[in-house]
This record gives sequence, structure tokens and C-alpha cells, in this order.
Amino acid sequence: MSVQHPAPIPAQAGIGLRAHHFREILDAPPPVAWMETHPENYFGEGGAPLRILERIRACYPLSFHGVGLSLGSTDPIDQVHLHKLKALFDRFEPAFVSEHLSWCSVSGRFFNDLLPLPYTEESLDHVCARIDEVQTFLKRPMLIENITRYLTWQDSPIPESSFMAETVKRSGCGILLDLNNVYVNAVNFGLDPLEFLGAIPVEAVQEIHLAGFDRFGSMLIDTHGQPVYPEVWSLYEWAIHHFGPRPTLIEWDTNLPPLSVLVEQAAQADAILGGCHAEAV
Amino acid sequence: MPRLCDLQQAFSKSIIEGNHAAVTAAMAADGSALRSIALYRRLIRNNFVQVLKITYPVLHRLVGDGYFGVLARGYLKHHPSTSGDLFLYGRHLPALLQRLDAPPLLVALARLEWACHEVYQAADSAPLSPDQLHAMLSADPSRITLQFHQTARFLSFPFPVHRVWLALQADVSPDAALDLPLPEEQTGLIVARSGGAVQVIPLAWLDYRLLEALSRGATVASIERLARDAESGFDFTRLMTTLLNVQAIAGISVKEDLWHTATVS
Repeated sequence: MSVQHPAPIPAQAGIGLRAHHFREILDAPPPVAWMETHPENYFGEGGAPLRILERIRACYPLSFHGVGLSLGSTDPIDQVHLHKLKALFDRFEPAFVSEHLSWCSVSGRFFNDLLPLPYTEESLDHVCARIDEVQTFLKRPMLIENITRYLTWQDSPIPESSFMAETVKRSGCGILLDLNNVYVNAVNFGLDPLEFLGAIPVEAVQEIHLAGFDRFGSMLIDTHGQPVYPEVWSLYEWAIHHFGPRPTLIEWDTNLPPLSVLVEQAAQADAILGGCHAEAV
Repeated sequence: MPRLCDLQQAFSKSIIEGNHAAVTAAMAADGSALRSIALYRRLIRNNFVQVLKITYPVLHRLVGDGYFGVLARGYLKHHPSTSGDLFLYGRHLPALLQRLDAPPLLVALARLEWACHEVYQAADSAPLSPDQLHAMLSADPSRITLQFHQTARFLSFPFPVHRVWLALQADVSPDAALDLPLPEEQTGLIVARSGGAVQVIPLAWLDYRLLEALSRGATVASIERLARDAESGFDFTRLMTTLLNVQAIAGISVKEDLWHTATVS
């Protein structure tokens, strides 16, 4: 049973919903336009998480951002996982559902991390077939997010942005564009982030993620444990002018700060979005 | 170039077994392959350590980061993840600690915390309806058995582990918690949920034995007999009130005869 009809997510900033902030949010709902959460955190049959999510859903449009479907795996799609996702989506009617362009399991063993695919014709066929299977079952379109990678496959001839564009074209999915991931990959592998963004189909981008990273030796790691870095804010300004205003999420998963810090970051994103709206007028 | 399936298998072998040959052959030959694999191993391992820390916060607090990290990495080797849903990932930790001959306090804390973890997200329980209560009160107790909600678990321990568990919920240092007296004392607990929060409620040992027998399908009459035999003047109403207060009873069954059972739930 759904709690209400899906509420559209406006082209404004939202924040990631984490259990650490439940109490604060319920006591004083923060001034953000929407919230996003991981559906896997609500796979339990009952209890406080589902009840709290119902209360939050009554106040905010919601987006579900999956982390465990292992879309790129060559194992069959986990039907139990898929059924749980559908039950949750049917109950909460999120405006967006999304997953990652990655894999996290093989031969029944899960690594529960976002692992990179080689960008080949075989991967493209495989991923598009899987997205089609999931979208058909869920009876709703998905957004697919670009991930960070910390390795380079030798045989990966299709540029990531072209791979995503072709995935959109073939499967009808949309794109969740993570600008922190674009920046981290660009720094780690000496790539041009604007070249990547320029090859992404404008109309396919329906949501943007912003987050912080940490340094590990010479590498940047996408930890979601820091404020958005100035370089990523700059990339965001460019992206908003290029793609137009889009719902934008402040993602923070580790080293969680007080809720007010997330709200401040969301306000900063809103200021950039507002500037773009004003220019358009 | 290996097919996608082979490549994923090669990556898996590298992460799990440390056999890097196949996966590094598929990676860019720029000298970074082993460093990348090491980074992924670290990230993956840290994720699983973090999941166990969230599932077993008191155990983690008691033993500290160092010991817990070793334990969590050992756990990963014995019980790798088999799902994209991590809720059940830590379920084997109490048994693993037992097999490793860990100190009894750690085994007991792990059992208690796993019960708390399950109860937190168990299916919601509704209080007994007036009809159900009426049926329970008016039926022959020798024909009544009770069903219990998933939100209520009965656990027993050879010492009062809940004192350490409770102390470490508050701002008590692990050293002070370890100094708590833990006499050898049969201890029964109900882990239940109230208003969404998990409660750990200590029971008198006789109460625990009676409730545990009820949860295994003993009739109300047989429990009343056991109670009277053990303690004259035993207040059975008090015991039932405890169960009703934590909304532990899901329904009652009234045995019609030897072969048929009517369920009111």
C-alpha cells in the first residue's frame, strides 16, 4: 500500500537521510526540498526505520538510491532483493529510484562495494539487458549513477560517458550524475571532467550528487565523509549552466556531521541553482 | 581480453585468495594494478568491519578498535557476504566467537546484541484484541497455548550480561564496565520493542523458565502447575501482565481436542 502519490522532486537541493539524523529531522524538519535514502536500510519487516520513513515521506518528496542490486554482475539478478525493492517502492512511491553502473558480486559472493565494469560492447549488452529486466519488473524507469574507480581495465575501449549515453539510449533509463565521482576519477586518472560532462546527454540527467572525498596517498577516495570541495562546487556551477537546474543531493555517509552542516551545504547548492534560475528568467 | 564473467571471477580470486595473476593481466600495464587491488581490498574489508561495528556497538565499545578489527576480518573469512542486503551479515558472529573459545562475556554480549538487532526491525506487533483476551481468559487453560511476536525474544545466560550491556549504553568506560560484578547467576532476559526502541528486560529465573516453556508451546495450565510447584503463591497474573506490557503475545491457540487446534490470532 502506498502512503501517497509520488511527489515530484523540484530542481532544488536535498540531503541524504541517515539514521543518525532521524531524531533531529523529526523534531525540527530541516528546510530542504527533498531527501534520498538507501532502500536496503528499510528491508526489515517492521520497526522504527519504516515508521520514521513514513513520517518523513509525509513531509518530503523521496528518492531511493540502491547500493546492493549488483546491476553489472554476471550472476542472475537476486530476485529476493528485487522483490524487496519493489515492495518498498510501491509503498513509498519515490520520485526517483536509482542504482550504480557497477557490479558487486560474482558466484554468489558479495563484496558490497561499487566495482567498475570494463566499458566494452559485451558489458553494454549485459548492463542494458539487466536494466531492462529491472525496469520491467519495477514498472518504473531507473536512474543510473556513474561511479568512482580505482583501477583501469586494459580492454575498455568505450569512454565512460559514451557508455552511459548508449545505456540511456538502449534502455530508456536516466542518469544520476555524481559530480564528485567525475572529479575524483579525473584527478586520479588525469582526465578532463568537462570532456566527460560534455558527452553526457543533457536531457538524460535527472539528478545530481555532490559529496566530499578523502586523500589516500596520491589517490582521492570517494568517502562521502567531507564537505563538498571547492573544485567540485566549481564543476557543479559549470554543470548547472550546461544541463540546467536539476535536483541536487548532498550525500554524506561516513564521519557524519550535525544535520545543520548538511543543510548548509544544501543551501549552498540552492544558491547556485537559484543563480541559474535567475539567469534563465 | 577475458569475458566479463571471467574478469569478475579473476577480481574475486584476487580479493579473496590473493591470487592476482589473472586480474592484473586484465588491468592496464602501468604498474598500478597491485596498488589498485590493495586499495579495493582495504575498502571492501573496511566496509564489512563497519557493518559489524554498527550491528555490535556494545561489543565494539568493550573490546576497542584493534581487537574488533581483527575479529571482523576473521569473520569475513569464515562468513563472506552473500547478499546485497547487509542486515543479516553479522548473524554468525556469536557462533564464531563460541567456536573460537572467546571469553564468555563476549559470546554473551554478541548473542544479546544480535537479538536486539533482529528485534529492532522485526515485523510490527499488535497488542491482543479484546476478543483474543476474552478467548484466553474464558478457555480451559489446559487447552491454551500462546504464540509470540518476532518482536519478543527470550534469552538465558549463566551471568547477568545485561548489566554490562546496559552500562555501555551510557557514558561508562569499557574498563569500568569490565569491573562490574558478574556473579555466576542464571539470568533470563526478554528482548522486546517499545515505541520502536529495543528494551532488554531482566526476569526472575523462574519467570524466564515459564515464559521460555510457553514460547516452546507448553499449555498455560502446564505452566501454572510448574509455577505452583516451584513457588507457592506464585502470581501468574503478574507474569501474564509482563507479557502483555511488552506486547509479546501474537495470538492464542485453543486446542479443540487431541487432533484439532483453533487459532485466534
